[in-house]
Amino acid sequence: MRLLIAIVFVALLGLAVVSNEASAQARYQSSISLSGGSYAASGYGTNGYIGAAYDFLFGGGKYFVEGGLGFGSLKSEVLEQVSKSQIFDNDRLFTYEFLVGVDVSPVGPLPYFVAGVAGVNQGGQSRFAGVIGLGKRIPIPGFLGSNQIGFRFDVHDQIYSQTINNSSPFVTHNILATLGLNLFF
Amino acid sequence: MFRFFDKLLKATSFSALLLLSAVGYSQDLDTTQDPSGTRRIAGIDLSRGVLFEVSPHTGMMGSSGLFGIRLSMNYSTLNLEIAGEQVIGKTANLYPISVNLNLNLATRGRIIPYGSVGAGLWLTVPTNTIGDKTVTTLGMNFGIGARYYVTRVFGFRIEGKQYITTVTNDRELKDELLFFQEFSVGVTFIFR
Repeated sequence: MRLLIAIVFVALLGLAVVSNEASAQARYQSSISLSGGSYAASGYGTNGYIGAAYDFLFGGGKYFVEGGLGFGSLKSEVLEQVSKSQIFDNDRLFTYEFLVGVDVSPVGPLPYFVAGVAGVNQGGQSRFAGVIGLGKRIPIPGFLGSNQIGFRFDVHDQIYSQTINNSSPFVTHNILATLGLNLFF
Repeated sequence: MFRFFDKLLKATSFSALLLLSAVGYSQDLDTTQDPSGTRRIAGIDLSRGVLFEVSPHTGMMGSSGLFGIRLSMNYSTLNLEIAGEQVIGKTANLYPISVNLNLNLATRGRIIPYGSVGAGLWLTVPTNTIGDKTVTTLGMNFGIGARYYVTRVFGFRIEGKQYITTVTNDRELKDELLFFQEFSVGVTFIFR
């Protein structure tokens, strides 16, 4: 899985280099995006994840704030088939994030970096998490007859203190990797 | 040890949030140029009719993290606001819903400090205890804050508040007064 994430990351970084002529991020003030990918929940394994986000861009696209939400699953074959146990009431995963980001080269190849906070709802139990991550918006000029559409990819680490069945608290890292479509307006 | 890491994590994420916000402040100055060629910071003018704001925010209440949103209406020095929050606790989530009256201490410029007072309902919803029910109490709050407008439609917001509520102690059959401090940072989007 880590190898897959690394390959996707390198490929998209290459795509970002190719598309450095695009400047939609510098010209528009807002963007919305729909993304899909994987959510690697510590102790549960990796499951699918879909999300949506709104970004407000300022400073010529170099800075942005982002609000996003996403849905995934905590389904674990190991827990189901081997230990026959379920830790939470259900397998549903729901997260929402508030991030601030810096993109030093909106039209260049370097990724942007984000930091912020997230609410991670695991089977009805909420956790307050810190988030760090990186990503890139890659506008595709002329795509579908518009200069406002592009791709984006993101890798986030949601870090929080976890307690399961009265265990001692331990720090959890959940890795979120997504690829999506982006609309600037 | 884990508590230390927990606190370190929260402190680090908030420091990063504030640092990145501060970097953004200085880079997007929305300025105007007068006839003499002098550039002036445009800021915002609350005395020109009604102005609406939507303000998502995050922060801490006591040692628990929170998320929330405030919907407000400005008219000169007055600001009427509805706020809803989720405070994520270890054994329960708290949902304060309040109506606040804010007094803007300036009506024009880039920085608008304000004082705030409000009241509302507190819903305490247990998350991992069996048999406990949602408890609803009345509460009031007061505090101070400031909004910093980066452009005419976007800004940052910081606020500190004291919350007060009463809960009934069933064992001793008496009401107890509880105090909570809240600190929040967020952004604000402005509409006319």
